[in-house]
Amino acid sequence: MDIKKVNEQENTLEIKNLVIHYISDDEVVKAVNGVNITIKAGKTLGLVGETGAGKTTTALSILNLVPEPQGKILSGEVLLEGRSVFSMNPLELEEVRGDKVAMIFQDPMTSLNPVHTVGAQIAESIAIHRKVSKQEALKQAKEMLELVGIPGERANEYPYQFSGGMKQRVVIAIALACSPDLLIADEPTTALDVTIQAQVLKLINELRQKYHMSMLMITHDLGIVAEVCDEVSIAYAGRIIEHGNLEDIFDHMRHPYTKGLFDALPDIEARRSELKPIKGLMPDPTNLPTGCPFHPRCDYAMEICSQSLPQTKWISETHCVECHLYNDTNESRL
Amino acid sequence: MDETVKKYTTRKEFFKQYKKKSRLQETWNRFLRNKTAVLGLFIFVFIMVVAAAAPLIANYDDEAIKINVPARLKGPSAEHIFDTDEMGRDILARIVHGAQISLVVGFSAVALALFIGGAFGAIAGYYGGKTDEIIMRCMDVFLCLPDVLLALAIVAAFGTNLVNMTVAIGLSFTPKFSRVVRSAVMTVRGIEYVEAARAIGSTNAHIITNHVLINCFGPIVVQVTLYVASAILTISALSFIGLGIQAPIPEWGNMLASGRAYMRDHAYIVVAPGLAIFVTILSLNLLGDGLRDALDPRLK
Repeated sequence: MDIKKVNEQENTLEIKNLVIHYISDDEVVKAVNGVNITIKAGKTLGLVGETGAGKTTTALSILNLVPEPQGKILSGEVLLEGRSVFSMNPLELEEVRGDKVAMIFQDPMTSLNPVHTVGAQIAESIAIHRKVSKQEALKQAKEMLELVGIPGERANEYPYQFSGGMKQRVVIAIALACSPDLLIADEPTTALDVTIQAQVLKLINELRQKYHMSMLMITHDLGIVAEVCDEVSIAYAGRIIEHGNLEDIFDHMRHPYTKGLFDALPDIEARRSELKPIKGLMPDPTNLPTGCPFHPRCDYAMEICSQSLPQTKWISETHCVECHLYNDTNESRL
Repeated sequence: MDETVKKYTTRKEFFKQYKKKSRLQETWNRFLRNKTAVLGLFIFVFIMVVAAAAPLIANYDDEAIKINVPARLKGPSAEHIFDTDEMGRDILARIVHGAQISLVVGFSAVALALFIGGAFGAIAGYYGGKTDEIIMRCMDVFLCLPDVLLALAIVAAFGTNLVNMTVAIGLSFTPKFSRVVRSAVMTVRGIEYVEAARAIGSTNAHIITNHVLINCFGPIVVQVTLYVASAILTISALSFIGLGIQAPIPEWGNMLASGRAYMRDHAYIVVAPGLAIFVTILSLNLLGDGLRDALDPRLK
């Protein structure tokens, strides 16, 4: 009992049964349909899923930045170190954003403002959260630039004078400027080429360990997950359909969708074999299938799959799955 | 290969070779390639210089104001290149002094409209939703009145003087600027760096001024140029119908109005102010079009 209490306090982030829909005049996009996520202090969680699985919406909800007025948080809670984000007033939110939780955005080309120097953009975050003078903030901004491997004297240059990889380093410097407790990385490397991806990932990982931050890594690249994450959540149609540590997911996967994701990876040793894609397409989030949202594409689909939503089933202490295949067994049925 | 290493001794020098031209410089170069726009700029600068140097060209009180009946309608001469008007005043002197009024009132009216309209437009565009609806519907009400009519109503109600006219024209242009700024803000609002600024905890006011409006500079500059032309035309129109700048203060519109009776025999009395209006507005429109082409990234 006591142990459980301690564990609860150590959770940097807890998302409970989050439901977010985008409601416009003529349709309802069901982006997030009951997501549960927990990140323990100092750990990295990988959130994996296809485009449209609700990953970014989930991330934005942590900062209460879900685009208004279309985005409606219908139920659920987001707890940052035990404090509910949705019940904070604007002032408290401004304090949390950037200071406690920072975000690295997907595309460094558009997430930097073209009319301000990179130094000023890093200093902005410092100036908001630390009571320091402008000069001092700029000085710290230069140190942050050095930290991400860019010469400090380039602080006076504008984003267009930087390459893509360097811009992403600047974005990382902005995110880390106030040494947050939780870092949200929303596909931080999708806009970069492969060699730069490796550099940027290495940098994020090093800095994360140096400052003991927790991280939510959103990606659709399982290679990245294997490299930087401690735990993995697989998202599908706005739900977490399987969650576990690296070993659980990579070696003992239970959900047919997770298996499909791994099968779809090319095998370097079997060059001639054809790829095995998951059949069909991601369901239309305005019109989700009944029951398990994956059943129309699932090779193992049974009658019950189209009728009721599977409950979360804990396979082990660390590993859970949402699938009717495991209603009466814990053994893999794939 | 060794040569390249030797050429750049410091890191700064080495990086310099990769530096691209600044955005401003690129825009300027694009602007220079547009011949008609450069012509517009040239004419407009010329008009500004003439307006600023008006006291050097002709004494305001002696030549532009003082009635000198014996000299009236004498025809062009070395002393009065553009003839004299029905009161014996030098038309050229009145034109150059009139330029001062047109430009000052034109620019101040547009500045006023930009300030008020821009603030409303920025708020409406940034917050969207109900705020947007309320502000923009109010603006729409004003927008459906022709601006000369609106300005006319204000001037008629509060009296005709320079300040009232500036305010009248400024207010009548306000809804237009709120529309322009709103649409520019809405485009910028969706870009990721605005979201990034919110994610580091910036206040909305800071984001609007520091991240959003500063990136709307392009379309706003273009509209300012075009609306200054429109404002100058409105001043002249109001003066022409007698509700703007009052005689004896020289203004192009009231010069046209008072000269109408004599135009058959003394063309200059009407042609000169008409030409002044025409050239000023043409130059501003050319300039505005050129700026728009130069600032529009789609034409890059």
